[in-house]
Amino acid sequence: MTTFAEPTAALSSSYAAGKTRKESKGRLFVKWVTSTDHKTIGYMYLITSFTWFIIAGILALALRSELAAPGLQFFSMEQYNQIFTMHGTIMLLMFATPLFVGFANVIMPLQIGAADVAFPRLNMFSYWMYLFGGLMAFAGFLSPGGAASFGWTAYAPLSNSQYSPGVGGDLWIIGLALSGIGTILSGVNFITTIFTMRAPGMTMFRMSIFTWNALLTSILVLLAFPPLAAAFLGLESDRLFGSHLFDPANGGAMLWQHLFWFFGHPEVYILALPFFGIATEILPVFSRKPVFGYKGLIAATIAISALSVAVWAHHMFASGQVLLPFFSFMTFLIGVPTGVKFFNWIGTMWRGALTFETPMLFIVGFLITFLFGGLTGIILASPPMDFAVSASYFVVAHFHYVLFGTVVFAMFGGFYFWWPKMTGHMLNDRLGKIHFWTLFFGFHLTFLIQHWLGIKGFPRRYADYLPTDGFTWMNQVSTVGSVLLALSMLPFFVNVWISRNSPKVTVDDPWGYGASLEWATSCPPPRHNFLSMPRIRSERPAFDLHHPNVHTEKLH
Amino acid sequence: MKAGWRLFSGLSVFYFLVTIIYWQVGGEALGITAIMLSGGLAGLIGFYLWFISKRTNGVLPEDNEEGEIADAAGELGFYSPHSWWPLPLALSACAAGMGLLIGWWLTLIAVGGLMISVVGFVLEYEKPSAVSGHH
Repeated sequence: MTTFAEPTAALSSSYAAGKTRKESKGRLFVKWVTSTDHKTIGYMYLITSFTWFIIAGILALALRSELAAPGLQFFSMEQYNQIFTMHGTIMLLMFATPLFVGFANVIMPLQIGAADVAFPRLNMFSYWMYLFGGLMAFAGFLSPGGAASFGWTAYAPLSNSQYSPGVGGDLWIIGLALSGIGTILSGVNFITTIFTMRAPGMTMFRMSIFTWNALLTSILVLLAFPPLAAAFLGLESDRLFGSHLFDPANGGAMLWQHLFWFFGHPEVYILALPFFGIATEILPVFSRKPVFGYKGLIAATIAISALSVAVWAHHMFASGQVLLPFFSFMTFLIGVPTGVKFFNWIGTMWRGALTFETPMLFIVGFLITFLFGGLTGIILASPPMDFAVSASYFVVAHFHYVLFGTVVFAMFGGFYFWWPKMTGHMLNDRLGKIHFWTLFFGFHLTFLIQHWLGIKGFPRRYADYLPTDGFTWMNQVSTVGSVLLALSMLPFFVNVWISRNSPKVTVDDPWGYGASLEWATSCPPPRHNFLSMPRIRSERPAFDLHHPNVHTEKLH
Repeated sequence: MKAGWRLFSGLSVFYFLVTIIYWQVGGEALGITAIMLSGGLAGLIGFYLWFISKRTNGVLPEDNEEGEIADAAGELGFYSPHSWWPLPLALSACAAGMGLLIGWWLTLIAVGGLMISVVGFVLEYEKPSAVSGHH
């Protein structure tokens, strides 16, 4: 019986030749900027978005240091506004969203057994739009009036040319609109790739959960980003040409909020779903069990994608002009499939032979952190409770638990998990554990206290407070936590640096229990991904290949 | 393909259903329009996938539960080995956006660059010499 079937088509031989030739820096640079390889473009996305993560993290430290004591220490009110605006913008649109594109680019074609994405040159075009658009939005800091300062939500009429003059706001709008085009094209690319480029035998219901989530995330991108582009173009037309689309005199303020949040809420799931996917890839490998409830997880993801277009106005409860019962009910409803996912994740770990290597630790950290964020989400979905804490630090704490919990914890889990696949070297496990525990304690020290800060009444986006307010010690706890959180990046950088010299990974699957197809090719994979491919008969083709004596139960 | 068109058509039906519910409980115009258009978008893709699966008429290797890797053997398709064109294309698109803020002269230059890059991007592999062979 043959386990392998060799594709007869001649694969590019340039890989083998390129391995032995020492490449000059200039040649390497040209190779990267002209690349059409989904892995190289994915690495560019990952490196760029991680750089933005560091920049926005430094902005966050600036905010926390300003709040460490009553009074204005370092910044003016206007500078503080610019810093929190750019912190939010960068974290959501220039770090987390492209981080999804990066992971999906590197991993998804490998998982479906494709040689590349469907449109390799379009892929590179998307990257450039993202890079240049992001730089434009950030360049506002260099402009005379400073960067955009109307919050990442850019509410009208605050964001019009009368209340927010200066070219910083225009750069922000146009830059984000351009980078949004890149995101939309990535979504098109991924959907086409998943529908048309799967390997024989890789039926839709054998695809890994990460690939399924990348598919539904891409669908949400198609639904959410065009309304955002429309809103941005309208706002820019108001600012430049004096149109009155978002003029409060004809209901423009509510029009903006509806348009923005019709993008903004699916955006939350665009940020969450791919990282749920990463968690679902990692959990079974370190539990030595197949994923529990494979189809249930897919159904939950589809349900989240379906419901996510009907919950946007829960961001607008306090406006008093939205249908509270409808949006409250829908928001409670969308908590159900998310709960199903938790059930499945715990079911995957239940009675498994668990080991806690760094990727697994980060995913357990994700489960704990995201659970907290989900629970406060249920609280906020109830309008009477939302009214009490709306626009306070309770909300800030809630969305940092949701977003940091999913995006950052799962990102580091994914980095440690796929580092050997991407670079051919393992990251150090001991440094990884130090990294995890400092990050975990730093994060919870920073944000847990903010729930009570919000309940006591400290509003978000304020640069200052009075000594008599009683917010001082809570803010100081949070600031100390943020420093610890920042320091947790050091072991990671050291780890990345020393991993260059760690021994080469010579096996396809260094973790030993890898399930999906990326573990059936070399580390790193060759130019068009597979020199040979195993027969695909379940959703765990690589596991079936490496453990032929273990019978994967037919689940469907 | 079956799972594909069912996924999109299902989403489309659901979005239209939500449109009706939201409209009936007294939702505002923008929300009704936006959910309805979402249903239209999903329906468009669902219809296309259904139409294609009807036309291809038969199980594709990737949809075959008993599919062998060798079933897809042969020409894998053409993959661009590397390309310069995405860079000038994105640069001129972004310059066109910057032109709104800096001046119409920049927009004009950028639109010129955009036209050249689009033609270059689209026709990169249309030269007779590059049609055959991989690289």
